[in-house]
Amino acid sequence: MSTIKHRLTPLERSERRLGFAMLAPAFLLLAAVVVYPIADLIRASFTFLHLAQPWMGNPFVGFDNYAKALGDERFLEAVWHTVLYVIVTVPGAVVVGLGLALLANKPFTIKWPVRLGLLLPWALPLVFSGLIFRWFFEYNQGIANAILRGLGFAPLNWLTDPTLAFLTICLAIIWKASSFVALVLLAGLQTIPKSYYEAAEVDGASAWQQFREITLPMLRPAIFVALIFRTITAIQTFDIPYAMTNGGPGNATETLAMYIHKTTVDFLDIGYGSALAVLMFIVSAVITSGYLRYTRRDPGRH
Amino acid sequence: MEHGLLRRSMATFGLAAALTLGGATLAAAQTTLRIFTGGQQRPDVMRQIVDVYMKNNPNVKVDVEVGGATSEQQQQYLNTVLASKDSALDLVLIDVIRPAQWSAAQWAEPLDTYLGAEKDAVMARYLPAYRAANIVGGKVIALPYFADAQFLYYRKDLLEKYGLQPPKTWDELKAAAQKIMAGENNPNLRGFETAGAPIEGTVCTYLVPMWGAGEDLTKDGKLNLAGDAAKKPFALWADLKAANVTPPNLAEIPTDRIRQNFQAGNLIFAMTWGYVWNRAQNDADSTVKGKVGVVPLPGFTADKQATCIGGWQVAVSAFSKNKAEAAKLARFLSSPDVSKMQAVLASHLPVFPAVYEDKDVLAANPWFAQALPVVQAARSRPVTPRYTEVSEIIRTNMNAFLAGTKAADAALADMNGRLGAIFR
Repeated sequence: MSTIKHRLTPLERSERRLGFAMLAPAFLLLAAVVVYPIADLIRASFTFLHLAQPWMGNPFVGFDNYAKALGDERFLEAVWHTVLYVIVTVPGAVVVGLGLALLANKPFTIKWPVRLGLLLPWALPLVFSGLIFRWFFEYNQGIANAILRGLGFAPLNWLTDPTLAFLTICLAIIWKASSFVALVLLAGLQTIPKSYYEAAEVDGASAWQQFREITLPMLRPAIFVALIFRTITAIQTFDIPYAMTNGGPGNATETLAMYIHKTTVDFLDIGYGSALAVLMFIVSAVITSGYLRYTRRDPGRH
Repeated sequence: MEHGLLRRSMATFGLAAALTLGGATLAAAQTTLRIFTGGQQRPDVMRQIVDVYMKNNPNVKVDVEVGGATSEQQQQYLNTVLASKDSALDLVLIDVIRPAQWSAAQWAEPLDTYLGAEKDAVMARYLPAYRAANIVGGKVIALPYFADAQFLYYRKDLLEKYGLQPPKTWDELKAAAQKIMAGENNPNLRGFETAGAPIEGTVCTYLVPMWGAGEDLTKDGKLNLAGDAAKKPFALWADLKAANVTPPNLAEIPTDRIRQNFQAGNLIFAMTWGYVWNRAQNDADSTVKGKVGVVPLPGFTADKQATCIGGWQVAVSAFSKNKAEAAKLARFLSSPDVSKMQAVLASHLPVFPAVYEDKDVLAANPWFAQALPVVQAARSRPVTPRYTEVSEIIRTNMNAFLAGTKAADAALADMNGRLGAIFR
């Protein structure tokens, strides 16, 4: 594409005007549902706004809410838990998802049961998966403890021991998220030409070599897409721990999104909750732009 | 002959016209009221009650909306509806802890003008605790629907088998539970349960022993957690846990799970609310029909028994478009007749002292004869517009302690710090 500027002909000018006119509704809609709420959130984060105390009004308090957040142990713990969920569930879901995608990419004669099996966890609502896993791990009624008892072991406090609760939640998240990752990777796998493998076969490459030298490099863009999506949703983890432990025991499994929900919806402390939401927004934006920069700098060298 | 036919067809026409006109006026005057209730407050019984109201008030249609199994889940939903000033709900059933918060947030339509000159006379008929709970800053915020308190449920058959009396102290409870558990040798049988999950009911799990030790969470509006009484609840529950009387998963037990375990025959003692009686006696899957006893909760000493006041109130939403009709329905729902209906159909404790002595009520709930003094002596959780935060701080710490992840000192320190910021 040349970038030489030239004068627009009247026809081009009117086409351009038409183009903007046709885009305007989309812009307006986005402004109404994205830009305005974010702007209002940022405004609210610099004010005191507590709906349980309406007589206090909505005064401007500068950076007070942000200063409070940095000294709020509960907030810092929630951030730390969220980071742990990201560290465990993002690679976890990608590894499991890759395995599933490779399996689904095998030349099955009937493809739909395999694809359906892949899709189902993804199609389930998040809270639903959370509830299912909670039933698995409940102390008295859960199947996990039933198995342990059957094998002669003592039952475990899956949901009320902080470490076990964290691990069971991670398991539920990985189960749920790996199917989405698998779908993205399966799409990537289908774009790799069969001839590459045939050539490798002729050269005597082992299956492992084929995987390392062909599949993985060719899949890099797809893996990056999956990583970005998974990381962003992992930062926003809410539904599954909410349904499984409601953040408990105490607040040992509470994520940042859950703390924001509690602050705004339960406590009605909209000002402080908005500041927390802005902080989460910044974290999300920084991580995403980091990924994007990395992918742009390094567009699949192989 | 011809005359008769004419007369008949005239009459038919007249009837048809009358029906059409009548139908039209009926439709025009029809008001639809929507009332919100929690799933645990027996919405089936409320439907029977509003059916009576609709029969007597054909111009009003009442929809019952059901949500949230626990008090804090309901309030979560209501927070979003009411913070956005949604007019979809006309009446809401609210927990006894909420009127102060609802008054401060201006979500409840004060009922003073609707009660008019009768206000003082109407309010004087209720149990004093409910009169006090529903009048905030001199205004009637809601009207009592049913009363409640925590009682000790016990297995009459098991206590009789081992020659035991219902315990009056926590030590007696522990000894009785241990004796029965050892004798029964049933791995599913547990000694005692109370709410331990991070839910509203767990606030009472902390407060009841504190009250029993003679103190309250606040004193003259200031936080009162420095003394020994504040440590008593931790010591009590740790003791029962160490003795294996409470189950290892107490921290995942919400209110209704206690009822389920009790009904399944897996519990000797349960600290829970009035509604359990009716379910344990009448539910198809109850294995303990006729084997249940109810007495006041134990204390550290037999003369110092404390319990948490509960119960539900009818509030008219400040955003309702039919406030006058809604207030009329609220008065009906808060009448002695409805109190009696609930007592018979759901073992909901009446809000009028006289209903406790009603023959039908006592036939359905023999233990109501001893329940009135318990309800009258029951104590309130702290009254503050920021109750949701107060509740969350107490229940989260209690839950962490019961799960064994937080020591009593650490939980108490966290409660001190965070509650201190609210009760300044």
